[in-house]
Amino acid sequence: MTLVAVMIAIPAVLAIASVLVPSRIAGPLTALGGLLTAACIIAADAGAAAGAKTPDALSAVFLLPVAVIYGTVGLYTQWYVDAQSAATGEGERYRREFLALTNAFACSEIVVPLLTNMGGLWVALETTTILSALLIRLQGTAAALEAAWKYILIASCGLALGLVAVVLLYVSAISVLGDRHVPEWSAYLAAAAHLNADGVRLAFVFALIGFGTKMGLAPMHAWLPDAHGAGPTPTSAMLSGALLSDALYAILRFAAIANLALGPGMTQILFFVVGLISLFLAAFFLLQQRDIKRMLAYSSIEHMGIVASGLAFGAPLAVMGALLHAINHAASKSLAFLAAGRLSERYGTRQIAGIRGGIATLPISGTLFALAGLSLAGLPPFGIFRSEIMILAGGFQSGAWILAVVVTLLLAVAFAGVLRWVNATSAGVARTGVHPGETFGVAVYAMLLAFAVVLALGLIVPPQLTNLLERAMAIVGQAS
Amino acid sequence: MTPHHLTIHEAIAGTVAALLLLVQLALFRSVVLSELITLYAVQSLFVAGICLDVGIAGGAWDLIALAILTFAFKVVILPIYMRGLVRGVSTRVEIPSRINVLLSLLIAAALTGIGWLTAAQLPLKAGAFLPTADLATMLSIVFVGFLVAILRPNAFAQVIAFLTLENGVFFGAVTLAPGLPFVVGILVLFDVLVAVVVFAVLVRILVALRSSAATTQLQELIG
Repeated sequence: MTLVAVMIAIPAVLAIASVLVPSRIAGPLTALGGLLTAACIIAADAGAAAGAKTPDALSAVFLLPVAVIYGTVGLYTQWYVDAQSAATGEGERYRREFLALTNAFACSEIVVPLLTNMGGLWVALETTTILSALLIRLQGTAAALEAAWKYILIASCGLALGLVAVVLLYVSAISVLGDRHVPEWSAYLAAAAHLNADGVRLAFVFALIGFGTKMGLAPMHAWLPDAHGAGPTPTSAMLSGALLSDALYAILRFAAIANLALGPGMTQILFFVVGLISLFLAAFFLLQQRDIKRMLAYSSIEHMGIVASGLAFGAPLAVMGALLHAINHAASKSLAFLAAGRLSERYGTRQIAGIRGGIATLPISGTLFALAGLSLAGLPPFGIFRSEIMILAGGFQSGAWILAVVVTLLLAVAFAGVLRWVNATSAGVARTGVHPGETFGVAVYAMLLAFAVVLALGLIVPPQLTNLLERAMAIVGQAS
Repeated sequence: MTPHHLTIHEAIAGTVAALLLLVQLALFRSVVLSELITLYAVQSLFVAGICLDVGIAGGAWDLIALAILTFAFKVVILPIYMRGLVRGVSTRVEIPSRINVLLSLLIAAALTGIGWLTAAQLPLKAGAFLPTADLATMLSIVFVGFLVAILRPNAFAQVIAFLTLENGVFFGAVTLAPGLPFVVGILVLFDVLVAVVVFAVLVRILVALRSSAATTQLQELIG
């Protein structure tokens, strides 16, 4: 069996097993499965870096966020279901449902970047919507229901536009590939010069709006702060870290075809528009957040805006930075969500005003939350600092000075917003009435593992990863 | 220029495309939920019909099978399920629009015009089954579907808007891209089914929590 088959089979089997076996067995199995899947993905990526064709470099890059998140969330989920059961009185049925859906969601998140059939890609993304909406609903609160409602409605309508994009691309290729061709990405790429240019143009616009909705790009982002904020913590981490990257992957497959068929100008302009709107909106909303998880959700919109800006600049350094940023963001954001989940559980609230002295109360989780916040704000020595510098340097290199300056200014506003809330929640003395102290357990190990990845990505980019990013950049950049 | 004589299949496809659009516009006229469900069932019947037509014309068994499944799911099972859901809420659910019928129809007509103008810009003739009309119909149904969702602030109406919008995309996929894998068609149907089930769970709980399915009451998460 190939590594690709194994990395899909593990979460799929665990999803079924979680329904059938008691949660006290399925929980540890999920933790083990998450780590094994992450190992499979890293091994497959090493193969891709060495020149293996399956998965290709772009798929390999977008498998990495899932590897980081499933590996850590699998561990964390064990603590989470216990804590949630204790707090809400939910029983075995809830635990099994949560574990089954988490594994199934992880499986769908792995399948997305492996697909190059444009129809299949759409189906896989739609499946992630359904599974994650069910997970958000499991939270059971009125806010979670409202969030699940908005999420499924907006994301499904967005994905319907994504299917329009698939159809338009298909129609654009009929004169070259025939009216019953298989919508395989490589076939479109090979025929790019002969595709109907207007059709490809329209297809990319629909893809950017449709899949951009799922990626959380403004102005199609309305569902994101609600779903990430109100959903269960492990789900928020999976949504923010891996799912946004999956949607970006779908957009990049379309962008590669459009770049080759039309030249990079159109995709760059559109990436600029959505990137700048996302950055602007997120930067200012970050300043006025009251809920710790919604603050992290707006930070996700900000970082997706940064990625879009990197793709818009088009310079090789910026595009490479954008791809690396997707991985860095996934690692830092999942750590931030996991730590925020610990804090809100201990304080009994998600309101920032109610969480004071996080480090004093939960020495490990509080410290890791602060460090994740510093990483998300873009401070060294973490990976996000590196990728943001690459994007900005690429921007100045490409000659888009004014836009690079605007992006820098918006980053500064977002920086202030994130630091303000990290400082407010982490510093100071423990609040009275909240029991201080923390012991080692699976949740702490999960967060330490995530932190190790965040730190490692900041200190060194392994040559295999650089090689992979360069190959992926060649696929995405094509003519840029 | 040699005049193009329509085959019987093309004539059927063209007529059904027009009917699909008419049903979509009729969504604005009705304020009673049961009527909206009936309109959805009728539209789905047309979609199943066109899928069958394209399947027979091209000798494609996968499309014929898809037509049968579409009929079973969208014309029979989902409408019956949704009617049951409505009965559980109230005997007569009225869904007001934010603006009156005439103005709604005028905006919808403008959106339909945009759909047709957009499609006319794309010289996509080769091989496809009535490409210009189908593309225009697909885009128009999608645009008008969004308008319905915007103008009707009610969970049920928004489900219907989503489902009809999806009908438009499904219609486009079948007629314009018959080579999309069969599994895509099946999974589209599956997605619709699961989406409706999720909607149903949410609507039931929303109704229980707030005594209404009006989405204007969803105001907890703002900012």
